[in-house]
Parts: sequence; C-alpha cells; structure tokens
Amino acid sequence: MAATRISNHSSRKFARKILSGLIAQLLSCAKDSLAARAAAQRVLPPRSALSALTLAALALPGLSPSPVCAAAEGDGIDFQYGRYREDRRQGVLGVVFDSETGLFSGKSKLTSPRPIEVDTLNGRARMTLSGRWKLGVNLTQDTWSGASPISTAPVVAGTNSPNVVSGASPLVRDGLKEFFIDEKLNFYRQGSRDDIGTLLPGVRDNQLTHTMSTASPEARKQLDFKLTHEWDDSAAYVGAGVSRENDFRSRFLNLGGRWDFNQKQTAVNAGLSYTRNRTSATLDPDAVSFIDTFGYEELFFDETDEFCCFRHRKRSGPGQIETTYEQNEFGDGTLTAAKIQGKREDVGLQLGLSQVLSKNSLVKFRLDYARNKGYMANPYKLVTRVGAAATLDQLQAGPAIASMDSILERRPEKREQVSWSLGYQHYFPRADAALHLDYQYTHDDWGIRAHALQAQWVQPLGRGWTVTPHARYYSQSSADFYHPYLFQLVVTDENGELIDHPWNQLRLPEHYSSDQRLSAFGALGAGITINKRFAKGISLEIGYERYKHAGDLKLSGGGEQSFADFSYYTLNAALRVDMEQIKPSSGSEASNDVFERHGDMHTNHADLAPAGVMFNHALAKSGDFMLGYRYMSSEQAGNVLQGSDAVSLDTVRLIACGNQECQVAPNKMTMNMHMLEFMYAWNNKLTLMVMPQWMDMQMNLTPLTEDTGSGHGHGGDVHNHQTGGLGDTGVHALFKLLDRPEHQVNVGLGLSAPTGDVGIELRKTATNPDPSGQRIHYGMQLGSGTWDFIPTLTYVGSAERFFWGAQLTGTKRLESRNKSGYRLGDHYQSSIWGGYKFTRRLAATMRGIYTRQGAIQGRYPASTEIDPNTGEPYVPQHVGPFDQPASYGGKFWDLGLGVSFTVPSGSFAGNALKFEWLQPLQDDFNGYQLERKGAWTLSWSTMF
Amino acid sequence: MDKATCASAALLIALSSGFAGCTTVAPWERGNLAKPHMAVDPNPMQSLLRAHTYNTREAAASGGAAQGGGCGCY
Repeated sequence: MAATRISNHSSRKFARKILSGLIAQLLSCAKDSLAARAAAQRVLPPRSALSALTLAALALPGLSPSPVCAAAEGDGIDFQYGRYREDRRQGVLGVVFDSETGLFSGKSKLTSPRPIEVDTLNGRARMTLSGRWKLGVNLTQDTWSGASPISTAPVVAGTNSPNVVSGASPLVRDGLKEFFIDEKLNFYRQGSRDDIGTLLPGVRDNQLTHTMSTASPEARKQLDFKLTHEWDDSAAYVGAGVSRENDFRSRFLNLGGRWDFNQKQTAVNAGLSYTRNRTSATLDPDAVSFIDTFGYEELFFDETDEFCCFRHRKRSGPGQIETTYEQNEFGDGTLTAAKIQGKREDVGLQLGLSQVLSKNSLVKFRLDYARNKGYMANPYKLVTRVGAAATLDQLQAGPAIASMDSILERRPEKREQVSWSLGYQHYFPRADAALHLDYQYTHDDWGIRAHALQAQWVQPLGRGWTVTPHARYYSQSSADFYHPYLFQLVVTDENGELIDHPWNQLRLPEHYSSDQRLSAFGALGAGITINKRFAKGISLEIGYERYKHAGDLKLSGGGEQSFADFSYYTLNAALRVDMEQIKPSSGSEASNDVFERHGDMHTNHADLAPAGVMFNHALAKSGDFMLGYRYMSSEQAGNVLQGSDAVSLDTVRLIACGNQECQVAPNKMTMNMHMLEFMYAWNNKLTLMVMPQWMDMQMNLTPLTEDTGSGHGHGGDVHNHQTGGLGDTGVHALFKLLDRPEHQVNVGLGLSAPTGDVGIELRKTATNPDPSGQRIHYGMQLGSGTWDFIPTLTYVGSAERFFWGAQLTGTKRLESRNKSGYRLGDHYQSSIWGGYKFTRRLAATMRGIYTRQGAIQGRYPASTEIDPNTGEPYVPQHVGPFDQPASYGGKFWDLGLGVSFTVPSGSFAGNALKFEWLQPLQDDFNGYQLERKGAWTLSWSTMF
Repeated sequence: MDKATCASAALLIALSSGFAGCTTVAPWERGNLAKPHMAVDPNPMQSLLRAHTYNTREAAASGGAAQGGGCGCY
C-alpha cells in the first residue's frame, strides 16, 4: 500500500519535472537572462513560478551539481592510508681496498641500504556548520625511514664502502682516500706504489655515485582547516594549517574564492596563500667532523688577539649555522656539533578558469605563481669538493693527486616560480567514460623548466565499480647551480706562484647543490585506481602507481648520469563516508525517525561504554554497519621506576642494562595509535569486525655517559627516537550470549595479524656501528610480530539513567618467537565501570582498570659481524633499560573518567563522540621503566 | 612577478570574460558533465598523496604553495 502511494507520487513528480524542463528550455532559448540566472539558483527559494519550474528541471538526477565549479563535496569523513617505497638503488658503487696494500683494488655494486619508505595516514572531515558555512578539517601524519643520497662523488673518492653504508660514516670511514685527476678533469683510481712508496695513478674512472645516508625513523604531523561560505554563484574560503617535524615547522594561511557566471558554464577562481617555514636542523654528529661549513661561516685570522689565531665568523646568507669546535692550538679545530637555522616565507597566487565547452567536455586553465624567500637549502645535503694542488710540470707529466671533502649546499635566497596548467576533460557517452588530460609547464628563476603531462581514463564498470588507469610523464632541466661536484684546483709554477691555467679559473660558485631534485631528469609514472561505491554512501578506493626517475628520460635526453636513477611505488587505500547519503538509506521510509531510532538504541543497545573499552558492543540487527575511529595516546615521563619506586639515573646507568652500563635513559615516551573499526552484523547474534591500526612513538633520551653523542642526524635539539607506520590488524567476532533490554553479555574472539614492522633498526652511527644493524627498542617496534589471540567477555547493564559494565580481556601470543627473535608478554585486563546519562545526548563514566602484562620472552639475535676493536661480535653500545626484555610489562591500576556525546542534528546526527582520560593510580613495573603519566582515548562512531 | 606572468594573468581574465558571451550548454544538458567521473578531480584523496610525493621528488611544485607538506627532506 505504502509502496503504491510512493510510486504514484514519484511518477507525478517526474512528469512535472519533464514539463518544467521543457518550459525552461524554451525560456533559455529566448535568452531570458533572468530565468537563466534563476536556473542557476538551486538553493535559494524560488522567486517566481517560472523559476520554480526551472528549479524543478534541475532537480532531475545528475543535473544538480555545477560541473565547472569543483562542486563542494558533501558532508563526510574520509580516511586514507598511503605508502611510498623506493626500490633499492642500483647505482650505488663502493670501492674495494686491498687489505694487504690498503690500496684501491676495484669497485663493487653495493646493496644499497634499506630505501626510503613513507607511511602516510590522512583523515578528513567535512561538515556543514549552519546553512552555507562549511568546515573542512584535515589531519595528516607521515612517518618515514630509510636511506637517501646525501651527496654525489666520483667513485674513486671512495665515499661508499661495501661493508659500511651507514649514517654518514661512509665518508667517515673510507672517504678522503687519495685519487688522481688530470689536466682535463678526468679521475683516476689509485694504482700501486713505486719503490720509494709514492702512490701512482691507476685506471681512468669517471664514474659517479651517490653517497647514501640512512636517517632514523622520523615523523611529521599536519593539521589544517578550511572554512567556506557559499553563495548561489560564488564561494569564499579561508584556511590555515600547521605542519611539524623535529627539524622543520611550517605554518600557512590561505584565502580565496570562486565565481560562477555565464549560467555556471564558466567559473573563475583565485587564491592567495602565505607560508612561514622554520628549519632547525642538527647535523649528524658522526658526520660533522667531515663536513666543511664553508658557505655558512668563514675562517679569518684574528689580528686583535696577539696569542691567536684563526676564528670562524658567520657569512651573510639565508641560513645561519651554530658550530662547536674542539679547539686545537691554532684556534682552528675539529667541528664537533653544528646546527643550521633558517627561515623562509612563501607567497602564492593562483588564478583559475574552467569553462564548459559542450555537453561532453570542459577545459581548465590555471596559473600559479610562487615567491619564496629565505633559507631554501636542504640542511642534510652535501656537495663534494674535489681539491688538488700541483705544479704545471707535475701536471703535464701525469695525473695529480687529488682528494675530496664535503661542503654544505648553498642555495639562492629567492625563488620565483610560475606554473601554467591546461586541463581538458571529455566524456564519451558510448563508453560512459571520461578522459582527463592535464599538462603543466613550470619555469623559475633558478633555471628550471619543467613539463608534466598526465592522462587518466575514468571507466565505470557498473555495480559501483570504477577503474581509472593513468599515465604521467615529467621532465625538467637542471637548476643553474646544480653541480654533481665542485672543483677547487690550484696550478702553480715551480716558485709556487699561480699561473694562467684553466684549473685556476675554476671558482667555487656562489650557490651550489647536488640535490638530484635540482638536476636534469625525466620521469615516467603509470598506475591504476579502483573505486567501489557501496549503496550506503561508503566508497572504497585502492590506487597503485609505479614511478621511474632517470636522466635518460629527460626531454631530448642529456639528463644526469644513470647513477642517480631510481624508482618507487605508491599505494593508497581510502575509505570515504558520505554522511548525507548514509542517513536516507538507513531510514528512507521515515527520515524523521533518526532521533527515535537513536533514542531507542540508547535505551537498549547503545554502546555507552567508556571510549577506552573495545570489543564490548555487538550490533543490534542483521545487516547493520558501524564505522568507528579511535585515537589513543599515552605518555610516560619523569622518573625511572624499579617496580614502584623511583631510582636515580646513576643507578639506572650501573644496573639497569644487565652486564653493560646504560648509555641512555628515557625521560619521556609518547605512544599514539589510530584505529579504524569496521563492524558488520552478520546476523542478530554475530558481529564481525576488522580493525587496522597505525602507531607512532617518540622517546626522548637523557645521555648517561659523555660519549653518547647528542643527536641522530635529522633530529632537533632533543636526543630522541621516533618510529611510526602501520601496526597490527585485528579481526574479531562478537557473539551475544545474553540480549535482554537491561542486561547484555557478549563474548569476543579476536585474532591479531602481525602486519606491524618489528624489524625497525636504529640508525648506524659511530656509537652504534654494527653493520648488521641494531634494532630499535622493543617497545618502539610497530607490532607484536606474532599472531595473537584476543578473547573478551563483556557484561553491560542499564536502568533508567544509570548504566554499568564489566569486561575481561586478554592477549595470548600464539607463537613463541617473532621474526626478530622475541615475543611480547601476554596481556590481561579487567575493568569495571558505571555511568550516568545527564540527557539523551550526554553521559559521563567512571572506570577502574587493572592490567597485567608479562615481560618480553627471547631477545634480538646477537650481531653476525665481528667488531674489529674487540674481535668479538658487535655488542650494542647505545643501550638503555628499554633494550632489556625483562624491563617490559608489569601490573598497573588506573582510574578512567569519560564523557560521551551524541551529535543532535545536522548530517552527523546520531554520531557518537567519546573521550576518556586514564589516570594511573599505581605502577608495578617489571625491571626498570619510565613512570606512566596518563593516557586518553577519543572515539567517534557512526552506525548505518 | 615578471611581465609575461602579468600579461598571462590578464589573458586568463580576458578569456573568462570572452567565454561569458557564448552560452552553448544549457543547465539541463549537463547531465554528462555532472557525472562523478567528470568531476574535476575524481580521486581527491589520492591526488593529495601523489602531489605530495611529486613535490618531494621533483623541482616543479604542483599546485598552490600554501598546502603545508613539510620539509620533504628525505
């Protein structure tokens, strides 16, 4: 009966739409501009009967969004996980030395160290605040680790050695070997020694290679928002954001607008942006003594001091350096610490135009202008300087002895960049597919000219599936100041006087960089994206791209040599939730019921448990979906405790690291987890759940001995370690054992898959030289590394405004060892809570928690490499209490205080937001661990 | 900004006012243009990620300057 009424109603509505469409068409043909304007106004109430009809015409499916205005997306929440991974570099060459003579005996292709990997987690929320105000919030987190090139050098200079590729220690250990250079700037290997021990030139070898350097794992977090106001034919926005890393901070503001005219066939947009960046980079303490700060400070002879000496003074320029020298008797000395500070301001301007060309095509133009001012160098990139001094006679007799060193790169203080973009989109009705073509030409005053061309074919396949293959080509010329290496060569006559010779004309330029991003190269990329739209406003997207960077791929060839070639892939998986679509599908018969429905849930089946309680809630009825996001953050700081009692750092140093002396102690550790929860009710009794999670951790350390070193390469001031990325993935089944209005009992059986990395290594440094790698502290690995069984038993009850519950949960490791040789202790937790509903939307909870976790079993394998200093396998030196398996786990008591809130209206109506603070009451640690300061959980969930 | 850039900005504006004169596609004929695969960016999340990657690997920054994105020093 109801169905008939609906279908009658909708067919009448449809006929009316067709009719009004026809009338509107007539009107437009008469070029009645008033009606045309009204046609575009689909949000405001109609002003006349005619415009009402036109409005109805626009209500036809598919017609409503204005195609050229980059129509604002509807309210929703998106999550994306992205992964970037480079392939091992093929062009990394090292030199081999003859162990007897100590001479260069050949070169070898090195297994490049673990390449750069980046995990990106991105969450976005878009919501209508009121009427025409919209807010978008965007949260991004990158974590990365791996090796990247720090400089380029002739292979003969021996910057990489086959057995040591680490921090900057290739330079430290085997660089600075002598090689040879001839008058025409060709390089020669070491040959042999003559009778009196003089080194002779060997084979000519001009091959270049990158010097690779591994950075410790690092993290970046970005938060930005955008507030938009929409009118009928225009929109304006203002946005701001901040991005933070240990060594870099960026804050930005932008504003802009969009205007539609010509019946929304033309849209113009303009934007203005301002960014302030601050670099504060501590250079690798292991490498500084081999870096020349020339470029940032100069040496001068201090005549004002009669006992002295050479001193350093700062050179003017965009970046400022702070240096510490171990003074020698001349005042000059060895650089022991250096920090580069720089500021940069960027101003950006954008102008765009899109135009409908026909009913199947549109075109877009865009102009971007950017002006950067300030410190633009990369503080970790070096330039190789090849030096030699010879007399003319020596040089004419044969290649002269040369050596190399590394200087910090120096870039101009200003950059102006202009980009032109042209895009064309065409719809092919027969294939129901769209072709997107985009071309961008960029040029700047650094001499870089770049072309980027991209094609995408968006092909829907039916049933909500869409496949999008794409291809991209990119080519750029090099910056004027790009040099793979520099020369500082001197030719004199017999008296030591400079002579007229091409070598002496080679001057160090004012700006120089060997960063391969500034070199001439081309790149090819290709990939595919698969989207699946589900009926309930959920869509999933998976994308893959391969990318190849090569000098040869440059337009017309002639790019940098093949040593710099590399390739990578990116993979992304995104989940998009359209909040506006979700609701009608769950309550289309009676959309007014939303309140009722949720009200009902709140009396019977609502999940009112505190934010930190998981696996407690089975969905009400078969076919229900729930999507949730949970963020958990915990902090340990302050004293190191043995059991429950604070101990001094001296005690820690002497006894907390077994038979070794502790070099470091933790002073703060933060751990953050992002969890996504997908729940689906298989039937009224059984709910299935998948829960991927991402971790990021940071530990700040206090050095306990003097030779611990003060930083980890890309670190800031603080001696710290960071890790992050994909954690373990849980799969759970929840059964209802008892399902009464006032009492429910659920049992959960879960399995945790070891998707988190447990092989993360500390960066190799002078204090941590083991070539086979030293793994980072157990607690900073991203997962357990084992398959784990997670059972739970939960009881919840309610009466009037009160509700309560209790839960027992545990984690049992199903394997005795993970691939890194250990397993985490089993875990057991019981909690009991009570709560009170102040209103239908707001509730508060209190919870008591007892947790017990076992110590780690097993340990990381001993090193397979022999330490030349001891003749024994390497023993990790850079150790703290957290490197002891026994110093994990313990017994803990906590008090939880929480609130939960249900969004009353708008497209997020019915969504639940919860927060819980966990206050540690007592710690009883195994071994020596850092005091717990507290933890909090924030959760969001929506049911549909 | 150099002269060429200013001139081109002017050209863009001129172009847009030029287009304003030609009304060729009526609103109810835009069904195809309104399809999701004809959206200016069919996969915005992915584009964001790729743009960030290109920005850290290529000298030509794609897109506006003030999007954050960090140092990209790796």
